[in-house]
Amino acid sequence: MSSQKLLLENAHIEGIRYYDVYRKNGGYRSVEKALKMAPDEVVEEVKKSGLRGRGGAGFPTGMKWSFIAKPEGVPRHLVCNADESEPGTFKDRYLMEFLPHLLIEGLIVSSYALGSNVTYIYIRGEYAWIPDILEQAIAEAKANGFLGKNILNSGFDCEIYVQRGAGAYICGEETALIESLEGKRGNPRIKPPFPAVKGAWDRPTVVNNVETLAAVVPIINIGGEEYAKIGVGRSTGTKLISACGNINKPGVYEIDMTISVEEFIYSDEWCGGIKSGKRLKACIPGGSSVPILPANLLLKTAKGESRIMNYESLSDGGFATGTMMGSGGFIVLDEDQCVVKHTYTLARFYRHESCGQCSPCREGTGWMEKLLLRLDQGQGKLSDIDLLWDIQSKIEGNTICPLGDAAAWPVAAAIRHFRDEFEWHITNAAEAQTRNYGLAHYADPLPVSEPVAV
Amino acid sequence: MADEIKQEPPANFKVTIDNVTLDVPPGTTILQAARLIGGDVTPPAMCFYTPLKGSGGKCRTCLVEVSKGSEKDPRPMPKLVASCRTTVMDGMEVKSITSERVINARNSVVEFLLINHPLDCPVCDQAGECHLQDLSYEHGKAGTRYEFKRRTFKKHNLGKYIQLHMTRCILCYRCVFTADQLTNKRQHGVLDRGDHAEIATYIEKSLDNQFIGNVIDVCPVGALTDKTFRFKNRVWFTKPVDAHRDCPNCCGKVTLWERGNEVLRVTARKDQWGEILPAEDGKTGWICNECRFEKKDINDWVIEGPMKVARHSVIGANHYEVLDRPKETISAVMGGRAPKLLMDIHSISEVNDPGVDLSKIPGPATGAVFNREKVIEEKKD
Repeated sequence: MSSQKLLLENAHIEGIRYYDVYRKNGGYRSVEKALKMAPDEVVEEVKKSGLRGRGGAGFPTGMKWSFIAKPEGVPRHLVCNADESEPGTFKDRYLMEFLPHLLIEGLIVSSYALGSNVTYIYIRGEYAWIPDILEQAIAEAKANGFLGKNILNSGFDCEIYVQRGAGAYICGEETALIESLEGKRGNPRIKPPFPAVKGAWDRPTVVNNVETLAAVVPIINIGGEEYAKIGVGRSTGTKLISACGNINKPGVYEIDMTISVEEFIYSDEWCGGIKSGKRLKACIPGGSSVPILPANLLLKTAKGESRIMNYESLSDGGFATGTMMGSGGFIVLDEDQCVVKHTYTLARFYRHESCGQCSPCREGTGWMEKLLLRLDQGQGKLSDIDLLWDIQSKIEGNTICPLGDAAAWPVAAAIRHFRDEFEWHITNAAEAQTRNYGLAHYADPLPVSEPVAV
Repeated sequence: MADEIKQEPPANFKVTIDNVTLDVPPGTTILQAARLIGGDVTPPAMCFYTPLKGSGGKCRTCLVEVSKGSEKDPRPMPKLVASCRTTVMDGMEVKSITSERVINARNSVVEFLLINHPLDCPVCDQAGECHLQDLSYEHGKAGTRYEFKRRTFKKHNLGKYIQLHMTRCILCYRCVFTADQLTNKRQHGVLDRGDHAEIATYIEKSLDNQFIGNVIDVCPVGALTDKTFRFKNRVWFTKPVDAHRDCPNCCGKVTLWERGNEVLRVTARKDQWGEILPAEDGKTGWICNECRFEKKDINDWVIEGPMKVARHSVIGANHYEVLDRPKETISAVMGGRAPKLLMDIHSISEVNDPGVDLSKIPGPATGAVFNREKVIEEKKD
């Protein structure tokens, strides 16, 4: 079964990076169509599509757009969040590198819908070669009348600027991104006020992920209702998944959110199974911040149903037995991976990337990293596991921005599902330095709890 | 007339904090409302500073639970909110010390703040007027669960008057806001991020602005200290008196910290929350470097009278006779046994002269002063 492609449909065409080829293959149709509609109609179309933010949180895009304040005489801004720094996520890079015009097209339509005459693309500093690609695409679009003054005689003016970040994960948080865009230190702001009311330079601002904005193009082309028919339930449309880790075919895949996780990992059309014929141990399905799941809970939910690659199914069971769709950074771990070391690596990342503004995150991430390093080196104590659990619970929900939660969840999930392995690292410390815990029972089918008769 | 009535400010909001209801004007934050109630209900605040625009929200010690959003939208807020940056809504219900979640969160924030803070209060110049010290007495635990090396930094000299000891810093950003808002040239910011972030003047530039000394006053801990005062005296041995002078740069209204007739330190006047008081004539209460560092002669100042102190620090307790004698503590440390004899030192020893209350002696309570007092009293007789 082949999934319907909306974003990467033309990605294989030679030269699609350039305006002429892109235009010949149906590019910029949505701009022509949208500019004949009223801005509110465009917003309505996106609302109908049920498109949800592709950056991680999954907030309905149409609703986010309708929140933007429209005070008289104050310019509004659309900012494209291309600060894709979540470990395991590289879908936006692929999109911008191979289909820059798709993003520009989506940006023009979205800017029109929101009334943004100056739109920014904030791109992470590490993507050093991509701003050139984007700037070339912007120049081409401008030369062909899709940007600048009075686009297609509609009276709508729009300019797009590319702003490079300086390499900070925190600048992917929307208010930190706005601070950084303004030229300040990238510290998240305290909300409220939300960016939709007071964003960049205190003007109403909408910040959207690259993939979200690119998805506006097929929505306008085929119509919101048609788009909503793809997928299932509230997970409409298609989603880019960047698969990586111990799989045969890592890469960026577009799925329509109806295939099962098992099919996604083992089908030759997608990941092509686990590398070197090993067995699946664990997986982080949505980028490093979302909870890690052992193989048994990943493939089947606690109710015994097959887990599907969409927002609802992946989060089925809450954090106790489920995880999140997140940004679509699909990280697969085979039986030879050590969850303790893996958790330490993530904790080290979050410690390094914490902005240091609020105390629980600044101090807690460093503390967790030190404890996990000690555990990984076989010098831990059993009480350290409880301490880690306590620290993560005290960071979660008490911070200014979601980075605190993002740092706490992987540690919590690793302890929740892999406590045996942590304990083995302590009780068999010497052995743990020479070999891995292995698959253990993490792929064993779980008993499905029968509903209790009252 | 009808138009004028419409122009009147909107009605006050009713807010309930820990079952105490009060009316406050719209725009008041939960913290400000709680401060009106005072006492234990008031959340501690380490980073919020009323005169500094944009401060607050960072330290997370003032987290409170909003159990009812407002009359219009009664849903509770899912997360604890920073009371210093959340404005009240009409009919809002807030839980501070009545919520277990809040107490837990507050205790954990204190633990986080202390894991990398050097616990060397006895040798720290801020001891006695340190907000973190107060906070850890109120919410901290006696032991620590942190078993790693604490983070340290080198000491820095910020100009000739101010010393920065980053090791003690809790990154409240107050000094950054002060430098930003009081001085014309911003040189004072934060470098790096996370737990290795540090307050710094950009590439070690010294700060020569007339008002930069105020960063010492806003610092809640001993990270920024006055080099003209450092280690000259413990604050609880000094006597704070309000004084003023005619200053061309600032309001000139200060607090002098004296010992005898010697002015050891000059600071701005602060209220019970440790915040700079505005001067009566509507000017800001910030004082200039000249007043703060150069005028250390008692003749430079017109003394107004002793400073009123409350709440923060041992200076606030000042008169030790109000303290309860710790009888319970004695039996606790003696393993449940009561002491055979609990003696009042004054009743059995002439050395400490029961007739003289130490805290009422003007100036330092040294032996010389003590004897002189006696001489004066004898002469009276």
